[in-house]
Amino acid sequence: MAIPIIPSLLRDNLAALAEDDQRLDGRARFAGRDLEIEIDCLYNAEGSCRVRMGDTIVFAGVKFQIMTPYPDRPTQGGLMTSAEIRPVCGPGWEPGPPSEESIEMGRVVDRGIRESGCINTTELCILPGEKAWQVILDLFAISDDGNMFDAFALAAIAALRTATVPAERFDVGEDYKLPVAGTPIMCSYQKVGGRFVYDASKREELGGDERIHITLGDEGHVHSLQKGLRGVFTADEFTEIMDTAQSRCAELREIVHKLEESQ
Amino acid sequence: MGYEDYQCMDENGIREDGRKADEMRPVEIECGVVPVADGSAYIRWGKNEAIAAVYGPMEAHPRKIQRQDRAILDVRYNMAPFSTSDRIRPGFNRRSREISKVTRDALESVVNLELYPRSKIRVEIEIICAEAGTRCCGITAASVALADAGIPMSDMVVSVAAGKCNGIVLMDLNKPEDNYGEADLPMGILPMTDELVFLQMDGDLSMDEFQLAWDYNVKAAHDVHVIMVEALQKRYGGDV
Repeated sequence: MAIPIIPSLLRDNLAALAEDDQRLDGRARFAGRDLEIEIDCLYNAEGSCRVRMGDTIVFAGVKFQIMTPYPDRPTQGGLMTSAEIRPVCGPGWEPGPPSEESIEMGRVVDRGIRESGCINTTELCILPGEKAWQVILDLFAISDDGNMFDAFALAAIAALRTATVPAERFDVGEDYKLPVAGTPIMCSYQKVGGRFVYDASKREELGGDERIHITLGDEGHVHSLQKGLRGVFTADEFTEIMDTAQSRCAELREIVHKLEESQ
Repeated sequence: MGYEDYQCMDENGIREDGRKADEMRPVEIECGVVPVADGSAYIRWGKNEAIAAVYGPMEAHPRKIQRQDRAILDVRYNMAPFSTSDRIRPGFNRRSREISKVTRDALESVVNLELYPRSKIRVEIEIICAEAGTRCCGITAASVALADAGIPMSDMVVSVAAGKCNGIVLMDLNKPEDNYGEADLPMGILPMTDELVFLQMDGDLSMDEFQLAWDYNVKAAHDVHVIMVEALQKRYGGDV
């Protein structure tokens, strides 16, 4: 990504708003933008989801390949996540090899899903030592207006939970639903004008400081954390956002489950 | 299924997906689907789905790519990893580079580049679901996105393709027809004058077949043009 020119005016503006506990778009500190989720929206993907949070739009697509299990884990398949942020999604994104930002996004989303244990790699085994499924989760952004982490993570888990293993196409039995035990959800907070806000927009990201990503599992357990960008935060600040993350993650999990039932 | 076994048409002259020989797949276009872009368009063409976004005109850098007398178009065609039945490895390949280039050559023929010396206009084409004919989808969507961005153009490029399967000339081949077929003729047509800015062909066509495929394409281009104009009218109103 090109180095953005951050007008100090924007930073001053954000700081002034923060004094009155306000945000650029009038949201409350921990309020998210309008959310739209659509599952099973891509014909050629075995699992797919489109998420729109405000003007941020992303897709997640699940594909399957047959792999040879690693010699030290002959009964396990694999999960691979890759985030591709193509220049289509904003004026600041440029073509070329994956940027640091997109690698970080892919890895943080991957960790949340992997560490929650919702995908049991042993269940992906077809023939021990010879054949296993490799689940490939591709994250693909169309429009970046901030907080792509959460959009990606939400699209990712919804796409996985509704994915079908294409066994017939690979001649290894009948198609079946990919078993996913659990719904890990990520919530991200960015420090804007000296305090953390939830679901930062692009302008808040440009004029903000450090961000923190929290992934919580079904029982409210923490599965992944990541602090990004330059900045210092206190234990009290962290406790505050952790508390709000618990309730927001539960809300989002509920939305994903409702969507699955309606499928 | 083997190459010889594939039958694209039943005895009533109806193709697998219910179309007649000269019939296109349904096309839907919507403008403004990428809110952060200066112009954008979504196209659904049968099962093909593509998104095009336009950014600019903006400063062209590095400076050595600048043209003193006109703007340049920076066109990228890309297929999402999940857009086909076998996953595509992310990144550019020879196919996507060539399609990016012919798309640029087509669009540079209609955009009034002289209005923006030393600048560039980025055109991003992303195929999110592919079912044969994605380059035509991409060019058509990019034309609408350029218009949506308010970039002056002499006309919009409409790209369509006809081909041949089982010896029958067919409009707008779908995936199996393309795989088992004998020829494909994609064209980029300017509907106001019926001039061409894009032409490719591979396979085997007699002169008669070629003429028929050509005529199919010209007619189809006018049909698609109506849909393109409607998409723009829906966003901006007024006559075109």
